[in-house]
Formats: sequence, C-alpha cells, structure tokens
Amino acid sequence: MNLNGNETTTETLTLRGRMSELTRVSPWIERLAKKYAIPQKTEFAMNLCLEEVLSNIIRHGYSGDSDHFISVHFDTHKDDYLVFVVDDHAPPFNPVDAPELPPINLLDNIQIGGQGIRLLRRFADTLEYSSIPTGNRLTIGFAASSALARD
Amino acid sequence: MPISTEELEGGITRVILEGSLDIAGAAAVDMRMNVIAGTKKAVLLDLQKVSFLGSMGLRALVIPARAVMGRGGKIVIFGPNELVEKVLKTSGVDTLIPIHHELQNAVAALQ
Repeated sequence: MNLNGNETTTETLTLRGRMSELTRVSPWIERLAKKYAIPQKTEFAMNLCLEEVLSNIIRHGYSGDSDHFISVHFDTHKDDYLVFVVDDHAPPFNPVDAPELPPINLLDNIQIGGQGIRLLRRFADTLEYSSIPTGNRLTIGFAASSALARD
Repeated sequence: MPISTEELEGGITRVILEGSLDIAGAAAVDMRMNVIAGTKKAVLLDLQKVSFLGSMGLRALVIPARAVMGRGGKIVIFGPNELVEKVLKTSGVDTLIPIHHELQNAVAALQ
C-alpha cells in the first residue's frame, strides 16, 4: 500500500529503553519509506522527530538505560496522515504543552540540549498527547498530501 | 560516520563530514571534533555530504564551535542541504555559526 492507497496498514517497532536501541530506528524508517513510497523530505522529518522523542524518553523518562519498552506503531492511512504512535512506560510528560526553549545563541551555554521540542514541533504536522494507564502516548502525524511538497 | 580534514591556505582547516549526523553519527565524530576544536583556530565545517542532522548532531557541532570561538578562533558551516539547513536555522545554530553555500565566501569569512 502506498500513500494513495485506501487501506490502513500498521507496522510496529518495539525497542528496549536503551540508547543503543535507537540505531534500529533509522533502518526501520528507511524500510517504511521504500515500502510506502514516502518522499525523502518526509522521511527526514520522521527520522528527526522519532530521534527526539525516543531519545528523550530513554534519557529523561527512563533516566538512562532501562529494561522498559517503547512501542512505535506506524499507521499509513489515518485521515490522510502518516502517523506514528509512541507508547512508553515513563512518568507523565506532555511534550505538546512543554515550554519551548529559546533557540541556541552565542551567550547561553545551556540551550544546546533543549532543541528537541522545538524541532519536533517544526518538523511534525500534528502532535497529540494522551496519558495512558501504562505511561504516555504521543501521536506524531505527517500529512501525506503535503509530504510531496514539504518545505 | 566518516570525518576527514584538509588543510587549506591561510591556516584554515576544512572538516568534511559525511553521512547521517544522528545519535550514532554524533558519537562517532565527537572525539575528533573536540580535538579539532582544541587545536584549530579557523574551521570550515563542510556539511555538503551530511544527509541527516538531529539534535545530538547539533550538539556535536555547537560544542566544538563554542570551543573554537572561546579561544578567539572562527568557524563557519559550508554547503548544508535544504533539510539540514532547516534544522540549523530552526534551532538557531545559524546565529552562532554562519552558513555559506559558496566555498570562497566561507573561506573569506574565516580570514
């Protein structure tokens, strides 16, 4: 099924809460991009957003390496969006409402690590957060139509 | 992630990065970048062959850049692709490290 298809297809990647597991994400997205004819710009945005979200869960939500799992579900056809649903087992954290740090500047040394939420908001087309009984669910959407002309 | 250096005229060091500057890529170049940042005073970061840049990759660029500037040196970015440049501008890195798309302009900015 490609971007113009009508059926819903879901694929899942399950990761342990370890930074080393993140090396599995990019090849998975690359495979999805080939399978569903996802444009390069959208593939870039997907990689960027998932790197931010997953690394934040592991570093902050799980406080480093952990045996907890993270589930990433990819849905090809949800109201014309390509959607990733990320479920974790971390303490509540809503990146949709979290304050955005100012951009990096010459004078401030502490902002380097705080760019993840800013990048997530700029590169994803939709973001939805919900608290679930086991932790957090973040739904990240990329418009299939604008994927062809993403700026 | 491959990283190589080339010494240009005028004491400029061209640092050529290639591939994905993701978490793994950033970890692979961190030590080399820190050595360069601790010893060079005019650094041209050649990103023409960088296909991806995430926030850990940003860190791998910004920390050495601050080190170079902290020693009174200069550093510029040369040739990022459209998406990599969008990451640099969204995060404000372009205000810290100037971006150039013409090599002669990048070199001139370091002299």
